[in-house]
Amino acid sequence: MGELSLAWRFARRELRSGLSGFRIFLACLAVGVAALAGVGTISADLLNGLQRDARNLLGGEAELRLFNRDLTAEESAWLRENSQALSAIAELRAMASVPETGERRLIELKAVDNAYPLYGQVALTPPQSVPDGLAFRDGQWGVLAAPELYRRLDLQIGDEIQIGTLRFQLRGEIDSEPDSGARAITLGPRVLLPLEALAETGLAQPGSLVYRHWRLVLPEGEPFVDWTERLGAAFPDAGWRVRGLDEAAPSVARFVGQVRLFMTLVGLTALVVGGVGVANAVRAHLEQRRDTIAALKCLGASAGLIVKLYLVQVLLLASAGIAVGLLVGGLAPVIAAPFLSDLFNISLGGPPDLVALARAAAMGYLTALLFALIPLARAQSLPAAGLFRGYVDTRKLRAPLWLWPALVVTAAALIAIAVVGSDNPIFALGFVGAAAAALLLFRLAAGLVVWVARRLPRPRHTTLRLALSNLHRPGAPTVSIVLSLGLGLTVLSAVTLIQANLSQQVSEELPQDAPTFYFIDIQNEQTAAFDELVGSFPEASLSERVPMLRGRITAVDGTPVPELEIPEEVAWIFEGDRGLTWAEQPYPDMTLTEGDWWPADYRGATKLSLGDEIAREMGLGVGDTLTVNVYGRDVTAEIANLRIIDWASLRINFVMIFSPGLLDQAPASHIATVRIPEAGEAALADAVADAFPNVTGVRVREALESFSRMLDSVALAVGITGGITLLAGLLVLAGAIAAGERRRRYDSVVLKVLGATRNVLAGGLALEFLLLGLITALIAALVGSLAGWVVIDLVMQADFTWLVEPLFITLGAGLLLTLFFGMLGTWRALGSAAAPLLRNE
Amino acid sequence: MIDLKGVTLTLNSQAGPVNILKGIDLDIATGETVSLVGPSGSGKTSLLMIVAGLERATSGSVSVADMSYNGRSEDDLARLRRRSIGVVFQDFHLVATMTAQENVAIPLELAGAPNAWRAAAEALDSVGLGHRLTHYPGQLSGGEQQRTALARAVVAKPSILLADEPTGNLDGKTGQQIVELLFQLRGDSNSTLLLITHDPGLAKRCDRQIGLADGRIVTDSATQVAA
Repeated sequence: MGELSLAWRFARRELRSGLSGFRIFLACLAVGVAALAGVGTISADLLNGLQRDARNLLGGEAELRLFNRDLTAEESAWLRENSQALSAIAELRAMASVPETGERRLIELKAVDNAYPLYGQVALTPPQSVPDGLAFRDGQWGVLAAPELYRRLDLQIGDEIQIGTLRFQLRGEIDSEPDSGARAITLGPRVLLPLEALAETGLAQPGSLVYRHWRLVLPEGEPFVDWTERLGAAFPDAGWRVRGLDEAAPSVARFVGQVRLFMTLVGLTALVVGGVGVANAVRAHLEQRRDTIAALKCLGASAGLIVKLYLVQVLLLASAGIAVGLLVGGLAPVIAAPFLSDLFNISLGGPPDLVALARAAAMGYLTALLFALIPLARAQSLPAAGLFRGYVDTRKLRAPLWLWPALVVTAAALIAIAVVGSDNPIFALGFVGAAAAALLLFRLAAGLVVWVARRLPRPRHTTLRLALSNLHRPGAPTVSIVLSLGLGLTVLSAVTLIQANLSQQVSEELPQDAPTFYFIDIQNEQTAAFDELVGSFPEASLSERVPMLRGRITAVDGTPVPELEIPEEVAWIFEGDRGLTWAEQPYPDMTLTEGDWWPADYRGATKLSLGDEIAREMGLGVGDTLTVNVYGRDVTAEIANLRIIDWASLRINFVMIFSPGLLDQAPASHIATVRIPEAGEAALADAVADAFPNVTGVRVREALESFSRMLDSVALAVGITGGITLLAGLLVLAGAIAAGERRRRYDSVVLKVLGATRNVLAGGLALEFLLLGLITALIAALVGSLAGWVVIDLVMQADFTWLVEPLFITLGAGLLLTLFFGMLGTWRALGSAAAPLLRNE
Repeated sequence: MIDLKGVTLTLNSQAGPVNILKGIDLDIATGETVSLVGPSGSGKTSLLMIVAGLERATSGSVSVADMSYNGRSEDDLARLRRRSIGVVFQDFHLVATMTAQENVAIPLELAGAPNAWRAAAEALDSVGLGHRLTHYPGQLSGGEQQRTALARAVVAKPSILLADEPTGNLDGKTGQQIVELLFQLRGDSNSTLLLITHDPGLAKRCDRQIGLADGRIVTDSATQVAA
């Protein structure tokens, strides 16, 4: 304790001399901590907002969802008796058209009752209540629509639109809905219409893609869990999906969790890159303090006191950098709130999350400590006599015993904070491992550059010789630059490559045989007419048309789903209803991996063709059984074969294809894909809409564009964090170059005395930085490509394309940034007047 | 007080091992003043560093102030310096970020003395710098810096004073003043003084003169032996 207080006293005295030499140290920590704190506080704000607004987002305290089935009288009565309030809505996609012009637009339709919304407000222009806006007046129902519909179809309030077979009057614009949540992919503007009118539109046919929801306020004082137990006991086979407030917006929570995980890890990389700057600054500081250390040792300071003295300084300075980072990170939600509030439709701007700030601060301190330990250990080991003599035989220096345990414990603590409590610890651990491997790779590469530069034959050309020797001379910034810029550029190249791959897959290069349209909700009796209509367009081809039903898996090999241990990768198949179909024959190009297809005329016990990957995840094979509840009836089918599903083909695909015989009797709608050249798209869409008002056409390109827009938002967020890593790398680069300025000034003055021109000197420097930038960028491009492949191919399980542009961006950025910052940092050295320096020397 | 037997020192350099000291036997009594003279590279500073416990002898035994250095940890030797050894350097080696008073207080603070600041002020006053307590080394002249270093070396009242060319960086007049002060302060506490110098006049002022050449003692006035 006595030594610690002495260390504290001495440290304060030393720090009075100012923070020069620690600007990069402070900036590196501030940037890294700000990124981590910002990501943490923004995501916490979002998750808190989700909790705060859970009633609004869910539309009640509990929600029941059924697919294309209304409540039975008994169910309806039970819900009314066991709730304080009940509201029913139905959601589907449909076409809206303008009767006068015939113009059409795909819309996201929500049919609501008079109780809607149970919580929150629907903001409308002009101001009015929802029931007022939708009321039957002057012989017409009203509808409310998002401004986009008015804009796209050139409509005014009061105009008529047709939805299905019914005409409505537009009564107002929807500015916001409390329960819209974050619909990442929307295929059209929102339209609200009265639930009473839905039946009259002809859109809610048997088998149509209609989701019905009932939102309710729970009985006074009854917990959700108790209520669901009673509900389950009353209607064990209803097949509805029940959600409570903790699942108000599960996809948003999952999305925020995943983005938080990724951005936290990228932020941690930025912090670790900054750690190189921390190490450089501490090393330089201790180098400057050699005399002080030697003097203190002479005066009787113990080695422990020396370490404590400089450790206290490092921690004090780290506190300053971390404080700045926390301030910026703490303010980040305030800056991001307006944008994110609109995007996710939740109220934001709560107080900053202290846990997130504490985590960021802890990571900041641990990083500072991790990178300061080696220079500190070195300071402890340096013999005072050697310091006075000006020569220390570093080969004889032994690391103190505490160094390795301290490094291991600090690194483990840093990893633990990053991994434990993260949304995907295994991924987080993998990321940390990969980052550490990359760090090691760049360190080795830097060592190799120095080794090779030292062993290359001396070039005759002065500029080249100067450049080469600058790479390996003592105190050269080669290692720092390769290490810090390398990691930054790796993140940049990986992010660019991933983004480019995803964009290419969703928008730029649609598969050759990708359909132009998906037509959904074609009724059984409409199929022949539909086929005929498509056939009347000579340039159009009907790719596929299959029946579609909805069903919920209730048991696997007789074991009820709740009792199964389901791998996370395939959990989605068991969450509520899934689309399914039946087929007599396999689709063209279908590849079976196990078992055989049933005979075309097979009508025996129901068999099933299951997606290969899903079956393997579940450990299922031919002969196992799945029980699926279709429209309230359990159908058990034996797996006859497994087949490969290529979702990227954009063709109609189903996880489950049943044999005909039982399911072909169930009410089903049909889904069809049609290919047609762009010139004929509008005419076909109009013709289908005119002939079949209940059928909805979805343009594949528009759907993908919507998906692409969502990806762009994610890419922007990830790109910002990736950019921060690069910024941290640049700070380290600038610091490393600045640290060598005195040496460069001396070199350049001596060379000027010997007759070197400014051009020769500048050429040498430019060549040095170009070589460094090129080598670093090449390795970064390779490591970044590898990281991109891992994410695209292994994590996202999509096809990876090695794209040249992102790699050129990495190479270009590496070269230009190294050259720019290198020359910026050394330009002063070139302009140094010789005489004053020589006199001083 | 200082007892060296068969001390050798070999350091590794990039060119290979260098034998700095080649078997030094030296016995210095309490209160004795000894000057070390010899050409550059003869091993004077290395010998001083070994006595200060700042350098480890490669072989031989070292005993200072009744403590054998053999098997002692670096921290043991640091504690010995706090208690018993004061060092003055040619380059002063003041801590640039601390004031004169703070610099002088360091040995006492390290020893946990309760009145370090007052004692430091008194020590500075005794070397004529009572008016410079709050000045930083950079604000002091060379002579003033060396006076501060002297005050720092004697403030803990060590039994041994080691001085490595204390006037080497000072002009003649200032150097003379520092020498007077050094001997006065040593006399006040009857410390043993081991002094490296190139100045024959200063060397002669000591009770005993030892000449070093090529890592060996070549002359010792106490024994009048010339090797």
